[in-house]
Amino acid sequence: MALNIKVKSIKVLEGLPRFVYILAVIAALGMSAGLYRLYAGLNDTTNLSTVFPWGLWISFDLTNVAFSGAAFTLSMLVYIFHMHDLHAAVRPTVLFGLLGYSSVLVILFFDLGRWDRFWHFLVYPNLSSALFEVSWCIAIYSGILTFEFLPIILDKFKNAKISKFVEKITVGMVIAGITLSSMHQSSLGSLFVIQIHRLHPLWYSMMQPEFFLVSSMAAGISTIIIGSYVSIWMFKQTLSEKIIEKLGSFVPWIFGLYLLMKLGDLILGSKLELLFTSGILSVLYVAELLLTLAAIIWFSIKKLRSTRKNAVNGALIIAAGIVLNRFDVTWFAMKSLDGSFYFPSLIEIALVVGVACGLIVVYSLAAHFLPVFSETLPVKDLPSSELEVLQLTQPVAGD
Amino acid sequence: MTKTISRRDFLKLGAASVGAFAVGQMLPPMVAKAAKESGLINAAGNGYISTMCEMCVWRCGVIAKIVEGRVVKLDGNPEHPHSRGNLCPRGQSGLMNTYDPDRVLTPLIRVGKRGEGKFRQASWEEALDLVASKMTEIKTKYGAEAMVFSSTHNLSQPLFENLLYAFGSPNYGTQRSLCFNAMIVANTMTYGMEEPARIYDDKLKYILLTGRNLFEAISTSETSDLSRAIDRGAKVVYLDPRYTKTASKATEWLPIKPGNDLAFHLALLNVIIGEKLYNRAFVEKNTIGFDELKKEVSKYTPDWAAPLTGIPAETITRIAHEFADAAPHALAHNGWRTSNFINSFHTQRAITILNALIGNWDVVLTEAGGEESGKLGAPSQPPYPRVSALRLDGVPWKYPVVPFKIGVFQEMRDNIVSGEPYQAHGWFISRQNPVMSLPDREKTLKAFAKLDFIVTVDIILNDTAWFSDVVLPEASYLERYDPLLPFGDKAFLRQPVIEPQGEAKSALWIYKQLGERLGLGDYFQYTDEEDYLRQQLAPLGVSLEEVKTKGYAESPETPHAGESAEKSWNTPSGKIELFSDTLAKVGFSGVPTWEEPPQPAEDQFYLLTGKVAQSTQFGTQNNQLLNKYSDEPRMWINTQVAAKLDLATDDWVEVTSEVGQIHIPVLVTQAIRSDCVFMTPGYGHLSKGLTTAFGIGASDSVLHVTYTDPISGGQALSQTFVTVKKVDDASSAETLKPLYLGE
Amino acid sequence: MAKYGFLIDASRCIDCRACLVACSVENNVPMKSTRIWIKDSGVTGEFPNLERYTAPFHCMHCIDPSCVSACTVGALQKNEDGIITYDNEACIGCRYCMYACPFEVPHFEWSKQFALITKCDLCVSRLAEGQKEPACAATCPTDAIQFGSRGDMLAMAHERIRSQPERYVEHIFGEHENGGTSTFYISPVSFDQLGFPTAETTDSPAHFNRIATEEGTPIIAAGAAIGMTGIYLALEHNGKKQAVRKTEHAEDKHDTAGKE
Repeated sequence: MALNIKVKSIKVLEGLPRFVYILAVIAALGMSAGLYRLYAGLNDTTNLSTVFPWGLWISFDLTNVAFSGAAFTLSMLVYIFHMHDLHAAVRPTVLFGLLGYSSVLVILFFDLGRWDRFWHFLVYPNLSSALFEVSWCIAIYSGILTFEFLPIILDKFKNAKISKFVEKITVGMVIAGITLSSMHQSSLGSLFVIQIHRLHPLWYSMMQPEFFLVSSMAAGISTIIIGSYVSIWMFKQTLSEKIIEKLGSFVPWIFGLYLLMKLGDLILGSKLELLFTSGILSVLYVAELLLTLAAIIWFSIKKLRSTRKNAVNGALIIAAGIVLNRFDVTWFAMKSLDGSFYFPSLIEIALVVGVACGLIVVYSLAAHFLPVFSETLPVKDLPSSELEVLQLTQPVAGD
Repeated sequence: MTKTISRRDFLKLGAASVGAFAVGQMLPPMVAKAAKESGLINAAGNGYISTMCEMCVWRCGVIAKIVEGRVVKLDGNPEHPHSRGNLCPRGQSGLMNTYDPDRVLTPLIRVGKRGEGKFRQASWEEALDLVASKMTEIKTKYGAEAMVFSSTHNLSQPLFENLLYAFGSPNYGTQRSLCFNAMIVANTMTYGMEEPARIYDDKLKYILLTGRNLFEAISTSETSDLSRAIDRGAKVVYLDPRYTKTASKATEWLPIKPGNDLAFHLALLNVIIGEKLYNRAFVEKNTIGFDELKKEVSKYTPDWAAPLTGIPAETITRIAHEFADAAPHALAHNGWRTSNFINSFHTQRAITILNALIGNWDVVLTEAGGEESGKLGAPSQPPYPRVSALRLDGVPWKYPVVPFKIGVFQEMRDNIVSGEPYQAHGWFISRQNPVMSLPDREKTLKAFAKLDFIVTVDIILNDTAWFSDVVLPEASYLERYDPLLPFGDKAFLRQPVIEPQGEAKSALWIYKQLGERLGLGDYFQYTDEEDYLRQQLAPLGVSLEEVKTKGYAESPETPHAGESAEKSWNTPSGKIELFSDTLAKVGFSGVPTWEEPPQPAEDQFYLLTGKVAQSTQFGTQNNQLLNKYSDEPRMWINTQVAAKLDLATDDWVEVTSEVGQIHIPVLVTQAIRSDCVFMTPGYGHLSKGLTTAFGIGASDSVLHVTYTDPISGGQALSQTFVTVKKVDDASSAETLKPLYLGE
Repeated sequence: MAKYGFLIDASRCIDCRACLVACSVENNVPMKSTRIWIKDSGVTGEFPNLERYTAPFHCMHCIDPSCVSACTVGALQKNEDGIITYDNEACIGCRYCMYACPFEVPHFEWSKQFALITKCDLCVSRLAEGQKEPACAATCPTDAIQFGSRGDMLAMAHERIRSQPERYVEHIFGEHENGGTSTFYISPVSFDQLGFPTAETTDSPAHFNRIATEEGTPIIAAGAAIGMTGIYLALEHNGKKQAVRKTEHAEDKHDTAGKE
């Protein structure tokens, strides 16, 4: 690290990478922004208004949920489809899922007008409400993610009896987790079915639930691939190119289905003309389609998906498409009542940045104290050819 | 207990701003004792009480809902002829006036300089003693006439008049010369009454409105009547240099050049008489002066009027035909605020005569059940002392035909400044805001500077109170009794729906207390408000308790002649006077005659002012409920003109008249003539005691030049011409944002 | 089930805003919120040929309300009189209803620390006390807002258009929009000109919402659960079979080896 901060670290935190401290400070600042929002009300702290009641926070939440779909996608591949060779990725992915959903809940907390009543969905039901169902699903699913995280803790605090019990019911929990994930990933899409007057017709579709569900699987895969690359620098851990290649091989199928569904939706909904007549929104929609197509082509090419750096670039294409899609649906393609363009306030941005940094901080702390990376590939064990490509011929210097 | 309080402390008198609380929630509940005793309020402090609104002079009947000693809702009384179950926005907001955090709730005595806003709270004893002693001092030193009294007409007026007449001063100022002198004097000359009543029935098919923006200057029942007439298919022709809400509903809107309503109406008379479209039988039987009129109007052809009014001659002719065709179910509406140009008096004469010519008496117009009708009792009192001093307002020595009871208010103010024919030394003001309402605010403040003593009775620290020496807190209309208001065959009651907040008291109490200290107790022979009312009810043989429950007493009207009986009017001749000898005798034209109005120069504009539905004159801008739904007080300017001056909506301009200058943002609109600009009156308050209103908008009275019509004494409010210049800085005045749109 | 209705006539509205003030007072609406507002065409045309129309706007009390379908905690409910009520004890301020409603009705207390939605509830408590009309209709001096049974109001709307066709456009806004509502508007100009939201005359979006949440989601859930279980068991079984074959193969080898 270029910065020469003399951090008087507590013994137990020795070895924690320096960037974590910096991110912790940013996270604290973000939380202060959040606390200020609670004190001052949404009017003074955000650019949300009657003409545009949902903004960056909701866009961030939906994007986060999509990428956190890595957890259910991976558990499905590993436990249901018996692809045990992918097992190494499970712990880091489950941790990311757990923290990802937690950060969604944190942001949502600050978005609610009555944040003190966030628990109301437990006692005030509305079975026809997509948001009611999403709340319950995520609540239960968080429990399942916690369960899936147990092995990591049990590794550290050994207890044979519990470990055995956990092993026994894992598959059942995984199936429940996949079911719940399918439900809430799709229900976030259902959220928009009633918004026929607000969402631009290019995006508006009765198939929105299915769009979100399918794309969340590709998003999940990109999360794992990008995550494995980022951890090279952060935690000196990664996944083998074999795992990455195998994960990438599913992308053309998932996105292929997604693209077909989208095209079908355009044709059956008589929306092809809108593709050319909607100005900037046409550009955004076509961009989404092109990114999807590019990802399909990219991951169809074995060479590209089996080389680490190329695979990561491909994953970035997927990620760009997902972010664009979620932001389009929640923000850019959403009608503002008076035509004005909403842009988030500094506090809105600060909270999001703060929470994202907080996510990384907690992740790092978890990785520091718990055997999250027990099965992953340490960087020092990478073949030299790879190290060369990564410009890591020397072992990565300690902090 | 005297405690000096700074302005800041003072502003805290009323507690926190309403935003955080429900209306009235921060003030203690005040169950009206009388209402409780009468059983109108139950033990829990809940009930419905019938009373009357005072948010404007229409005084709609109101039913107040009380919950636990707080007024929570006002609804129109279905049995009151002025409300018929409806209330306008001001009526609906009335409880906010009562619960305004800026209410003055104790007597205040000034400690700083006038206008500094430094007052100390005082007891009623001290304040009333001080007022009485000061007034007596002035009377002793300079004569009773040196004490000037003014009040905007209200239900306690008889007792106010007692105070001033018994005191021996001739100087009585009302707001009327700022409003409808032209109309009243014209009607008096023509029909022998201040204002006939208008009948809007199913048959009324043609209404000619000259100004009288009924859909913004709302008089609930008449606004409703006009709307229903339009619904039924009646034709409404509306003259106004502005496209108001009334213009948008009228069948035909004529954007007439200001000052030339007179030309229009004279031309109508010309056509109707010239083409013999008038009701000959009616005219012969019931009017005098037709020949003189005919002679006068023969030169006022539509072709003559067209270039003056900006209305094509064919249109004028057509309207004359339509009007006469619809007779007698046609109405030429006098309007109300008729203090526009010096020639407005003749315009009013022409309008009253138009009605007479088509013989719509007892069809569309009829004798109003005035406030003097009905057989109400009154406490006995001695006759007033003889007053020999001249009135400062020039009645009648300068204004020979202006009735005493209405006077020429602006003249009175001018002569306080000039000191002619003598210098006034004190001013007693009640329920009035002359600092804001009189034209030329600087001059009014100059008048104040000439006075030794100023006392104001008000419910809030309005601008006039702000500059006074003593402020006496009146109870708001929801907190007090007032004398009964006769209307048709009923006499309506105003009664407290809650007990007055703080130390506030009714005018009946204040005037009596003051009267007694001035040795005039004989003129206030009632023990309290209820006693006064019982004395009023005595001839009707009905109890006060009964009236409290119903909200009114039945008071049989003096039966008035039906259509068949011999009609007569209270004029010198007993007939409708198309030619008025009274006017001729004092050197004015006996018939309506053309008087060329002044015109603005090339670079000037007529400064127009008028009503908006969400405020009343100068007194309601502090009401947060009305503010919530008010438009920003910008100056209207025509789109083409704005383009030339490089102005867009919300740009600021400097507006300058002969007597003053303001800064204000503009509203660029098609809805106004290019030679006019328009401001909503009532903003630009000086009083920091109006914490909501202070700092908003600009004041029209700063710009208005004082012009008085010699015949009716009416102020000519639209004769002020201004220049408009774009300025860059936004100046210190904030603009009002309609709050609900910001969320 | 819709008992009540409004007839709002834009040709009668004079933009006096008595209804706005009355509503604020009756329902203790916070100073910075409103449950009713004015739709304004603005001054159109060129001097002196000008036009301007206004109409008050509040909750339409739809027959199949989108907001009720969407509300996360069921704070918005349709009662037996067809009034869409709002429970300010349940609301969490998530603002989904603001997106669900095509008429831009739910307003939000943006300035408050503990912010809630605010919405016209047809003065349900006022009606319960025995008053005949909600505050807005009761106070309107020109009868621009009228209130009564839904059937009567609709009939009146039709009748007014029929008897004065030159005065109104031939459309009753609110009759079919959003699947039908209880508030009917008639106007001398198109509703576009008044700035009304263009809610399509379709089945209610609530209907489509229910398809997605009450049919779609269960199908996805069942599909996932059954599908995943099926695949798991199949692959488990296959795996066991393969393991058995391996063992058998190894045993065969062993046997064969032993036999040699």
